[in-house]
Amino acid sequence: MKTDLNLQDADGFYEQLLNAHEGLSADQSEQLNMRLILLLANQVGDASILRDCIESAKN
Amino acid sequence: MNTAAFQNVQFTNGYEFTQGTGYTLPEYAFVTPPELVQNKTLRHAVVIVGGGISGLTLACALANLGIKAVLLDEDNTVGVKGASSRGICYTQKSLEIFQKLGVFDRIAKKGIQWSVGRTFAGDDEVYNFDLKQQSNFSLSEQPAFINIQQFYIEGYLVERIQELGSVDLRWQSRVTAFKQNKDFATLSVETPEGTYQLQADHVIDATGSHTPFHAWTGVGMESKKGDDRWCIADVRFDTHPPTERHTWIEAPFNENRAVWQHLMADDVWRIDYQMEPNADAAYISREDVVRERLERQFGKKVKVDIVWVGPYAYKSQCLTALRMGRVFFMGDTAKIVNPFGARGGNTGVADADNLAWKLAAVLRGHADEALLESYNDERLEAAQENVKVTRRTARFLRPADGVERAFRKATISLAKQFPFARSLINTGRMAVANTYRGSRVCGETGGTSVQNVKIQWRPGKTGALNDLLQWADGRLLILVFGEQSKASLKRLQELSVSGLPVRCVQVLAKGGSAQAREHIWDKQGHLKSACAAVPAGGWAVIRPDGYLSDTGQGVNGELIAAVATSLCL
Repeated sequence: MKTDLNLQDADGFYEQLLNAHEGLSADQSEQLNMRLILLLANQVGDASILRDCIESAKN
Repeated sequence: MNTAAFQNVQFTNGYEFTQGTGYTLPEYAFVTPPELVQNKTLRHAVVIVGGGISGLTLACALANLGIKAVLLDEDNTVGVKGASSRGICYTQKSLEIFQKLGVFDRIAKKGIQWSVGRTFAGDDEVYNFDLKQQSNFSLSEQPAFINIQQFYIEGYLVERIQELGSVDLRWQSRVTAFKQNKDFATLSVETPEGTYQLQADHVIDATGSHTPFHAWTGVGMESKKGDDRWCIADVRFDTHPPTERHTWIEAPFNENRAVWQHLMADDVWRIDYQMEPNADAAYISREDVVRERLERQFGKKVKVDIVWVGPYAYKSQCLTALRMGRVFFMGDTAKIVNPFGARGGNTGVADADNLAWKLAAVLRGHADEALLESYNDERLEAAQENVKVTRRTARFLRPADGVERAFRKATISLAKQFPFARSLINTGRMAVANTYRGSRVCGETGGTSVQNVKIQWRPGKTGALNDLLQWADGRLLILVFGEQSKASLKRLQELSVSGLPVRCVQVLAKGGSAQAREHIWDKQGHLKSACAAVPAGGWAVIRPDGYLSDTGQGVNGELIAAVATSLCL
């Protein structure tokens, strides 16, 4: 699992993420997040990296 | 709160049609056993308790190898009185086993072949598969799946056992007590003509989920129950849906709960409806309620014969050991899976095929008794895997309210757009021949099932791997691929006459020339690809259950070691 910066445009990504949630209800936001997690997980693919990410997110 | 009701209520008296022409299940006569005739306790090498699909497969597999055994069944027929869910779907591996035992042709003639499955959510199809297009199914002589009512297979097995001899089928014989010491077990058997005792070197418990042997042996168990409730309706109607497996995760005609639709023999369809959590068993299986449900799916105009209705709550459980002293557990006594992906009955059939050749090898003096321990290694691993896989399906189909359900919603919506997410949709992962990774009798490249591929005995005369296994008659089959050096051939010859229970065969590729007397042709290279990682010029050791023990390069000490490992010598 990478822990150093890997994003090409960190501020840009963060802004995009917040913009995507603007005006959404809590349920809609939840669905957006979940769809995003699944899409991103498929980009990562590697089972041990995904496991590390889940574990790190829990703490 | 309704769990007890689901277990206790008996909704059916077997597979009898409630209307129309009914099934007549075969009945088998009680024959006075020698113990009662001679009024003494006799000792038997193998006693199988339970004549369901697992017990009968084991009995038939032993009979096929000429091993004597006694089978005790409390009923006088096949099929089950009072059961709510029985198997309908048989995998390629099971069909390969049935072919070896001589009942495949009967099953193929009666059953329905299918390979296409479709999954729907709401009105959209989100996913489909065609198993014929998948290489892990395409090499075998047997189809990917056949659907047929379980009692037909059981009936064919009984016929076959009677043809083969060796196994004494004792009907109306209920085991009421059991004890064992380190050398043998003693069983008390209740019959219409009185009670008797018999002794057994090996007892196989195949009595099913309500077995008394768990308590008698004190074996450990891990178990899980949920609140999910289902109701099966087996029906015949005057419409003919496609011969495909259809599953709805969210069926609009079932209040957005899941529905399964599958065909069996005699034009009988199994429609399995997911009910509300903790639904009342008596209510959901009432005829008018069932008819109303069917009408919502198929319309008012379709005429429906209800063959059988069975409400059920699933549970999954797995023993912590499949052997306790002289007793082996198999089929539903070893594990109970949630009924997804045909992982129940098919696992029992594979349990039986695994144990049969090992018992035969030990009883014939071909293997050390330690070989029997590998049954636990291999089939416990398979049981645990199948329990794990089916629990994941159950969790997808009955997600906990809140975040689990929300994740499923997100997954379904993505699956409609993107191929990757279709793999997350879990309406059951179809059973496969389990791989053995932790077996004491398999090498690093072994532990996988070899499909029953076509071979040529000589140009123009075809056979299949099963014919070779049958010819090997319970011994290990050693295949050497391609041209061999003179020294290798000499060592193979020595191995053939060494007294070790092996049969050696040279496998020739297109354009090869025969060097050994026992040789076959594998012109398309199918047998070689079915034997996983076998190197060119190398060898593969295949067991009587069609599993690869090991593969290697040269005909040398490594091959001898592989044979010894396979038999615990």
